[in-house]
Amino acid sequence: MIDEKEFIKQLLSPETQNTAFQKLLSDYQRPLYSHIRNIVLNHDDADDVLQNTFVKVFQNLKNFKGESKLFSWMYRIATNEALTFLSQKAKLSGISSEDLQNKTIDNLKADLYFDGDEIQIKLQKAIVTLPEKQQLVFKMKYFEELKYEEIADILGTSVGALKASYHHAVKKIELYVTSN
Amino acid sequence: MKTFKLENEPKIKSGFKTPENYFDDFSEKVLQQLNEKEVKVIPFYKRRKIISLAAAAVIGFALLIPIVNNYKANSNELDEATLENYLSYHSNISQYDLIQTLDDSDIEKLGNDVTLEDETLEDILVASPNIEHLISEQN
Repeated sequence: MIDEKEFIKQLLSPETQNTAFQKLLSDYQRPLYSHIRNIVLNHDDADDVLQNTFVKVFQNLKNFKGESKLFSWMYRIATNEALTFLSQKAKLSGISSEDLQNKTIDNLKADLYFDGDEIQIKLQKAIVTLPEKQQLVFKMKYFEELKYEEIADILGTSVGALKASYHHAVKKIELYVTSN
Repeated sequence: MKTFKLENEPKIKSGFKTPENYFDDFSEKVLQQLNEKEVKVIPFYKRRKIISLAAAAVIGFALLIPIVNNYKANSNELDEATLENYLSYHSNISQYDLIQTLDDSDIEKLGNDVTLEDETLEDILVASPNIEHLISEQN
């Protein structure tokens, strides 16, 4: 694998930009899709947000300072895009973000692109009851199996705070599933 | 009731799937979107800005119309009065200079406009102290 700095150079140079961006797309489309899908839940929305994310990445490449890893920077853009999308959708529907997510989860059973059973739906319902940050941390750690260091870099928090956040999230989820 | 413990359960997957071959043409979709965005020369928000600027300019001009009209009317009146005063009291143009600029048609017109009876003319000539000077100049 080529050095990240070299890869960023290729992304910024007009001659190599197209090939490099295609590589970026093929390397990151699947993990970023999962990340976004875990936040917005529905495939069509995830598709929209993923496209917007790559467009934003492309448009902002020239501003990428290399202070963080390309991986974290792209995950950060994807997270922001997904959260903004959710809040805009909730606003348009005139309901809260939590109500919107609950509605989406109720529709999951009929979703062509979801093959979960009762426990998966219950787990999603439990996650919605968490504060936004805990939701993100739980999804990134449990479903996407990212390392604490990676999540810390993406969300800009310390590993210690993340561990505490994940611990709280798990406790609340267990309590919700037990009592429902 | 059995207490649910996440770590005791087998790993619960998210259960999310994608349509078949979704990722095969995804890159193309993004690249196409990027090309479309590059073609757009004026983004909508900028166009909206131009429209509002144009509307503001039209309103500005509309508001200026009465002011300009008044100004014009005033300046016309002023022009005539100022010109008359200037010619009468401040200019160096003597009546001789003015006479020089008159041609035959002007004199004829003056003859028609200013009709003096012989008696009045006589009175003026008698009252004028330098009548001789005037008569000699006529010749």
